[in-house]
Amino acid sequence: MKPLSESSRERLMRLMATPVRRKYFESLRRMLGPAGLISIGEEQFFLVLAIAIGILAGFCVVLFRVAIHTMRIWLLGSSLHPSAPRVLLVPALVGLLIGVLAVRFFPRVRGSGVVHTKGALYIYDGHIADSTVAAKFVLSALSIGSGQSLGPEDPALQIGAGLASAIGRRLKLSRERLRLVVPVGAAAGLAAAFNAPITAVLFVIEEVIGRWSGGVLGAVVLSAISSVVAERWFMGSEPLFRVPKYHLDNAAELVAYALVGVLGGAASVLFIKLTTKLRSGLRQQPQWSQALQPALAGLVIGFFAIWYPQIMGAGYEWTDLAMHNRFPWEVLGILAGLKLVATALSFASGTPGGLFAPVLFMGAMLGGMVGMIEQQLVPSFSVPVGAYALVGMGALFAGILRAPMTSVFMVLEVSGNYAIVLPVVLCNSISYAISRGFQKVPLLDLLARQDGLDLPSLEEEQEQPELCVEDAMHAAVARPLLGNEPIAAARDFAAGSSEENFLVSLGEGRWSVLRRETLFADEAEAAAPVRSLVRARVPRLYQDQSLDVALRFLKDRPMLPVVDRGDLDRLIGVIGVEEILRTYRRAGLAEPEMAEVS
Amino acid sequence: MSTETATCTVCGQALDAQGSCPRCQSASPTAAAPAAASDAHPDQVGHVWTIRDWRPLLTLGLVIALGFSFTRLVVNSYDEQQDKLAKQYYAAGTRAMESQQPEQAVEAFEGALVYSHDNFDYQLKLTDALLASGAAGEAVAQLHSFLDQRPTDAQVKLKLARLEARRHHVDEALRYYLEAIEGDWPEHTDPFPQRINVRFESAEYLIEQGRHVQAQGALQALTAVLPVSWPEQEKLGDLFLRNGEAAKALKVYQVVLDQYPENQAALLGAAKASLASSGYSGARRYLLAMTPPTDEARSLLAQLDRLEALDPFAPNAGQAARVQRTLAAFQIASRRMAACGATIEAASPKVQERWRALQRWAGQLAPVMNERKLRGRDDLIESIMRFAFQAEMAAEKDCGPASNASVDDEALLLLARERMGAVQ
Repeated sequence: MKPLSESSRERLMRLMATPVRRKYFESLRRMLGPAGLISIGEEQFFLVLAIAIGILAGFCVVLFRVAIHTMRIWLLGSSLHPSAPRVLLVPALVGLLIGVLAVRFFPRVRGSGVVHTKGALYIYDGHIADSTVAAKFVLSALSIGSGQSLGPEDPALQIGAGLASAIGRRLKLSRERLRLVVPVGAAAGLAAAFNAPITAVLFVIEEVIGRWSGGVLGAVVLSAISSVVAERWFMGSEPLFRVPKYHLDNAAELVAYALVGVLGGAASVLFIKLTTKLRSGLRQQPQWSQALQPALAGLVIGFFAIWYPQIMGAGYEWTDLAMHNRFPWEVLGILAGLKLVATALSFASGTPGGLFAPVLFMGAMLGGMVGMIEQQLVPSFSVPVGAYALVGMGALFAGILRAPMTSVFMVLEVSGNYAIVLPVVLCNSISYAISRGFQKVPLLDLLARQDGLDLPSLEEEQEQPELCVEDAMHAAVARPLLGNEPIAAARDFAAGSSEENFLVSLGEGRWSVLRRETLFADEAEAAAPVRSLVRARVPRLYQDQSLDVALRFLKDRPMLPVVDRGDLDRLIGVIGVEEILRTYRRAGLAEPEMAEVS
Repeated sequence: MSTETATCTVCGQALDAQGSCPRCQSASPTAAAPAAASDAHPDQVGHVWTIRDWRPLLTLGLVIALGFSFTRLVVNSYDEQQDKLAKQYYAAGTRAMESQQPEQAVEAFEGALVYSHDNFDYQLKLTDALLASGAAGEAVAQLHSFLDQRPTDAQVKLKLARLEARRHHVDEALRYYLEAIEGDWPEHTDPFPQRINVRFESAEYLIEQGRHVQAQGALQALTAVLPVSWPEQEKLGDLFLRNGEAAKALKVYQVVLDQYPENQAALLGAAKASLASSGYSGARRYLLAMTPPTDEARSLLAQLDRLEALDPFAPNAGQAARVQRTLAAFQIASRRMAACGATIEAASPKVQERWRALQRWAGQLAPVMNERKLRGRDDLIESIMRFAFQAEMAAEKDCGPASNASVDDEALLLLARERMGAVQ
């Protein structure tokens, strides 16, 4: 910044002549940064950026939804029951076009958008190609609009992430921030597609980031909310489904809900195994046949859709009808089964599109079926079928996508009824447990591995034992020196000990480490307190902290104190690098690279 | 976590004991230079964003504004298309309903709702179509879901009331009728006549269900709110009459006749009410005032004539006429009992016992049934008439209404209803 000219300085001094004015200009000066211009920290800038990404992602998702509906009307007609020739031919012909485009020009639009987004976060430094985003938009709209059994949420998540990546790159964000901006965009895309910000935030944390990270949470929440606001601005605040009111009147109803959970778990395992086996098999076919696979999937779906057109597309309108007793239980069962097969086919064939909506469809049909049978067998239970359908959705979501937290909040957010929480938690837990019992690796991780990626997973991370400071620390051999203790007394104490390093308690929870040679240095005055020898403090640790954290703090320090959280001056133990590495070896875990942490 | 585990506000790296960032190599994170971020923005010195860096942000703002405008344009056009399709399907549904094809109507209204899901009128029409196609359970579920959205909507409540009435859920139906009266009606309509109509409907339903006491309350409430000048007063009178409250019905008809003395329906209603409350002369006066008299009025006049000819307790009847009328009443009642014989044989033992008692009573009275023995014996006349009344009432109860028998039976029954209290 150029220095002020003499005349400007004089003018400024005159202006600041009175105390009131001086106060005003002082606050203005504080607002202006060191460069003399309005400035904010990168943290705040990132939050502002998250809002902007959210708004733009909201617009994109609105356009995406419009594109899907328009394609649907163009390709299949406006009727809920399209004519048989259209139903049979359109998915196949459009599938052929999609297959050629996806295989020849845009290979990254195939498969799960969640996996690609996660890959962008962990492997590609937050980079998602613009062409992939554009192709995902167009091809997903074509595939869902033409009746392939897929949903718009997963592509919306990838579109949001891609948009955020594009903005981040153009703003030349640092590599770290560019990585973080991807889940921010993903949350925005999913929130707008689902019209449910909490669900989107939780899903992104559970499935995209794969770990609870406080650093990015604020931005993710802001982007999700701003995208939902943008989406509602255009599409209205109507929820995805009109959910009937629900009260748990009789505890015995929980038995029926448990049955929904069991069925949901079984269906989840079946779906995961079918999809992954089919996908693996189809990917091994010759390259030329891969372009034909979406067409073949479309042909099979079209064939079934002649009798059951409900299985085509995302199927939200049918899910809504199922919630309002519009199908007999036999039809609900058939629809659930056919949708399972149709979705597995569509997805495994590499047709762009997501699994969320079909999963909800299957869950609603299965839950609704149980609800209708229950109504016939036990008419005294006056629970609406919609409640079962809703709980079924959560069960399939928990079982297939293996995001238990998201599945519970999704149902609560979609229904807006917290009375349903008990059946939802029960049902989702059963479904999740069955799914985990019979299918160890979650679907999204399996898909990532099929794509040759090994990405972190919250579920797998939870299964790994976390080593804590208390696993590695040992009791202090010597008592800590006190900061106000005379050096002479400390020397007397140290003379009787073989330790090379001594912890020094400086009071008020502050600690330091003193080397023997420093303590016995000639220049130190014997009457001076030990505190006078201390050059730097060291971090304190607690028993429950992870060893990774301890290692990061240790750096080249010989040891660190482990103290009581209730009394920061009370030493519980001591920990050093050797103990940590020994503990890692004992637990059979890979030792962290020292270069990485230092 | 200890205070030392705080992270750098610049790069997210954990701070060391001195509170400095190992990556940014400075004690003051906000003033630090990003040593490791090789691809960082050149202007990003110290990670402090100044207005110079805001240029791309301003561009982003511009992009948002453009994005908003573009999305607005697309969504407007999309909404128009959706609206057009919704109207097309709605029209198709309405046509299907008019041509008595409820299944097609259901499909069409569902189609309309796909393109305009929050349109309440479409939803109500879909419910009507579902009801017409016999899918009552689905219609109820649909209406309940509306209630979740609009818990005080009177139209939904009224539909639910009718639906529950059709399903013979009387208490539910009544509850919904009441809630419909108190509910919110569409803003563009005047709620008062709608509420009056619902009151009438609920009162009629109560009478049909034989809940006369509740119906009495409902009709009383209607009397209080229904403006006297409204033509619905006639309907109110009819309902009072159907509920067995002839005096109140007559009062209502008189209110109408005060304003429209030649109102034929009111005259007929008043005649019926007078007849039911034994005001034969009044009934005759109303019937004669009808110009020209309807078939029903003529039939009522004939009945009135016969009734007067049958009534031994009429003030103007002399001693001989009383005896003649008593003998005639005994014969009419005996004929009616004989006609009922076949039906009674198949009836319950309790009914059969009652009829045996009546037959024994007829047998006891038979020896005195001649003019000579009855002359001057008012006690016998009263006993015979009591038998005749009870026989007619029992016959109506156990073998069907008197209208299936003869005018005489009907007249005698009317007389019975009027006189039973006095005779007993």
